[in-house]
Amino acid sequence: MLGSFAVLRKQSLLGDAISHAALPGIAIAFLITGAKDSNTLLLGALVSGLLGTFWIRGIITKTHLKSDTALGLILSLFFGFGMLLLTFIQKQPNANQAGLDKYLFGQAATLVESDVWLMAIVTGLCLLVLFLFWKEFKILLFDKDYAKTLGFNTKTIDILITSFIVLAIVLGLQTVGVVLMSAMLLAPAAAARQWTNSLSKMVLLAAIFGAFSGVFGTAISASQNNLSTGPVIVIVASVFVVVSFIFSPSRGLLFRQIRFIANRRDLEQQKTLAFMYHIAETHEDISHPHTIKILNNFQGFTRKTLQKLVDKDYVTIDGTMWSLTQKGFEKAANLYNQQHKTDE
Amino acid sequence: MNSAQIEIQLIASLVAVACAIPGTFLVLRKMAMISDAISHSILPGIVIGFFITQDLNSPLLILLAAITGIITVVLVEHIQKTGLVKEDTAIGLVFPALFSIGVIMIAKNANDVHLDVDAVLLGELAFAPFDRLFIAGTDVGPKSLWIIGAILLITLGLLFAFFKELKISTFDAGLAASLGFSPALIHYGLMTVSSVTTVGAFDAVGAILVVALMIAPAAAAYLITTDLKKMLLLAIIFGVFSAISGYWFAHWLDASIAGSITTMLGLLFLIVYLFAPSKGLIAVMYREKQQRIEVSLLTFLLHLKNHDDIEERHVNHLNEHINWQKVRSKTVLDLAQKNNMIEIDNKIVSLTEKGDEFTSKAIDYIITNEDAQIEDMKDDFFLFRG
Amino acid sequence: MKKIAVQVDDLTVAYNYKPVLWDIDLEIPEGVLMAIVGPNGAGKSTLIKAILGILKPIAGSVSIYGKPYEKQRDLVAYVPQKGSVDWDFPTTALDVVMMGTYGSLGWIKRPSQKEKKAALEALEKVGMLPFKNRQISQLSGGQQQRIFLARALVQDASIYFMDEPFQGVDATTEIAIINILKELRKAGKTVIVVHHDLQTVPEYFDWVTFLNVKKIATGPVKDIFNDDNLTKTYGINYKVSIQE
Repeated sequence: MLGSFAVLRKQSLLGDAISHAALPGIAIAFLITGAKDSNTLLLGALVSGLLGTFWIRGIITKTHLKSDTALGLILSLFFGFGMLLLTFIQKQPNANQAGLDKYLFGQAATLVESDVWLMAIVTGLCLLVLFLFWKEFKILLFDKDYAKTLGFNTKTIDILITSFIVLAIVLGLQTVGVVLMSAMLLAPAAAARQWTNSLSKMVLLAAIFGAFSGVFGTAISASQNNLSTGPVIVIVASVFVVVSFIFSPSRGLLFRQIRFIANRRDLEQQKTLAFMYHIAETHEDISHPHTIKILNNFQGFTRKTLQKLVDKDYVTIDGTMWSLTQKGFEKAANLYNQQHKTDE
Repeated sequence: MNSAQIEIQLIASLVAVACAIPGTFLVLRKMAMISDAISHSILPGIVIGFFITQDLNSPLLILLAAITGIITVVLVEHIQKTGLVKEDTAIGLVFPALFSIGVIMIAKNANDVHLDVDAVLLGELAFAPFDRLFIAGTDVGPKSLWIIGAILLITLGLLFAFFKELKISTFDAGLAASLGFSPALIHYGLMTVSSVTTVGAFDAVGAILVVALMIAPAAAAYLITTDLKKMLLLAIIFGVFSAISGYWFAHWLDASIAGSITTMLGLLFLIVYLFAPSKGLIAVMYREKQQRIEVSLLTFLLHLKNHDDIEERHVNHLNEHINWQKVRSKTVLDLAQKNNMIEIDNKIVSLTEKGDEFTSKAIDYIITNEDAQIEDMKDDFFLFRG
Repeated sequence: MKKIAVQVDDLTVAYNYKPVLWDIDLEIPEGVLMAIVGPNGAGKSTLIKAILGILKPIAGSVSIYGKPYEKQRDLVAYVPQKGSVDWDFPTTALDVVMMGTYGSLGWIKRPSQKEKKAALEALEKVGMLPFKNRQISQLSGGQQQRIFLARALVQDASIYFMDEPFQGVDATTEIAIINILKELRKAGKTVIVVHHDLQTVPEYFDWVTFLNVKKIATGPVKDIFNDDNLTKTYGINYKVSIQE
């Protein structure tokens, strides 16, 4: 759901970076407390996720390194450090350490009731904030400078959005894991974007898509042995994206292609008609028959287009001869005039 | 130090060098995240290759994985071209999907064989020396050493052969195209090299840490120099240094070698980030402070030049009218006086001849957009910098 | 002497510590339709952004009707450059215009029917009412610019700042926009426009400011729009043939 904002802010990969950056936080929280209580671990994840985010910002603003470099850098460095700590923990005599790697790929099955409650509460909180600051989020995303002139403190809104994205990511870690979190953030939003042109509908749809992929993914992974939940959820979400890309009525590739072909056909017909018009113009009788052969010199002419024109009653064919009908002549004259108008 | 240790360090260093070279270009081309995507999405290629060959080090597997890498790049570009989503979203969608396919394939089929996700993500350098290559019955060294060595040789060969082309197309794709070098060809060539390197290295350091080895040394080098050759060299040095020191760090902690190499890279980058001579955080902050004062000084001098009336040139005017705080206006005033650019007579500030000349020149340069000249000019005129 | 709508004092603005505007003093009287002209990189947009507080100046101050800008926000409306936003954003024309009301609403409060009515009226004024539910990426460049103008009109301000409103718009839209601007002036509003096309300055505007890092000149078009100032601003020996 919050992914919608990430997608629209062109910060799609930030989610990936944050989720990786959260790993050392989990490990350190474990090292300090020695407990596997998920709340403590998530707090650690939250802190290191935020730390990673701020460092990324620092790199981008203070040096000439570009955002992609900063993201990749933080992502891999934090993750590597996290792995170092995890392997270090594994070598410790403390028997309690198993299960930390569930954060790598996520295992929804390991969730306990208190985790679910925590998620529900945070989700509720996200919804509330989203509802309250809807207007502010929207204007900041669309036109930051303008929001500033209206007197909104853009920095506050910015921090608010970012913190909630980080929070959502950290929560999702338990289910889909570090590696695949970014897909969870992006896929529903990217899919939803294809179906609607309204921000509110997009957020709603994204939430529905996300929930569906979660439910389906969990169901599929539960029905099979050896399938971790995370990857299955991501695959389901990706299917949503592909379907949306292809079949969405207004933006989808399929319909775009159909429209494109239809347009080209129209254009071919019009061109042929215009060509005929020019020939017919030279005769006093507009319906004077001409051989079809003349048309062969004309590019873009096919027998099909001719047939279409006949179907529309613009042209009549008599053996190898064609002639314009009155209706066809008027139509062509109209087209011709229109074209000239737009040229002027 | 036994021979296994030496071999591990050798492999790690070779990987570091092999990663640093394409990494440098990826960083310069603002495509660092692509390496992240490739490193994840080659997984299905590796898995399929593994099913066919049953050997993690076979060339076929490397080829298949490299092809998957290229497919990723092509897919990302195609999705971008549709205009449905933005570039980074495209990356973020493609690689988790491919990675998930790989993970599921492993989970379904390869459960009982030596290929698990952890190994792919993290690699295990410590075991590399045990998998040895035998030619005609004699032990010639660990397999991964040969593989990464071969990849490195190819990369180096390509680098020397196409250095000029790479350089031009990285800095000015349009110019490269007009000179007849196909940017697309170089682009895909670079992508292929990155994929192959990633595959060759994943066995040793794991997929994600390949990303670290590609980006971090290059990014650190970029903070120190902007000369391409020096940058490549520095990136290689950084990479090798982290590889070796990382190994000993891991040895001491008894933890993942790959993880500790990355940690060393992280520390290295942090140090460079803070202390790099001209691009580092501290240097930048110092320079920003200096420039802020110097720009203020210029502003102040210009103000004096623009206004002849006494009222506008009164010391107090600075505080009220120009909207500066007391401390700042005092710093500026002091600096201007130290540099003999102004005289204060009875609280009325006026430009000296030198200040006048300086200001006129500065305006000319700014209007004609010649920034470098201003810096030169500051050196000429200033006795004390801000 | 008319009231001063906008007063700029000793304004200096720098990007990355490179000055782009130097020591600008400017007084804009109430009720003028003013063009800011100058070559590329002269700091035209920067001047507007600094006046509006989007950029923080290094030195100097701005006042709107004698008070600092922060206290007079309600009196000011801004039309940013068309290229500054992502037109693929999922929102409709009406939605964008509604954004103009957000400022007076303040935090958290939602727009009501009253705001919606105002937005529809503004759309009507710019002739975009039939397109109110269109997704903004499906509008032409000229239509997008009109939506932006409508958004500013909704604010019902006294001073309007516009950044290149004629860039990439068709001739019809250009005429429509300039007519609306002239109406605003008639109603006693002050309109400040960053403008590119020198040919149309005398026809569209009554006040002009020449800018190239420094202020070159400012005043009524008929007094100061001449070859001398143009040359000073654009460097080369610049002459415009003013169309009769």
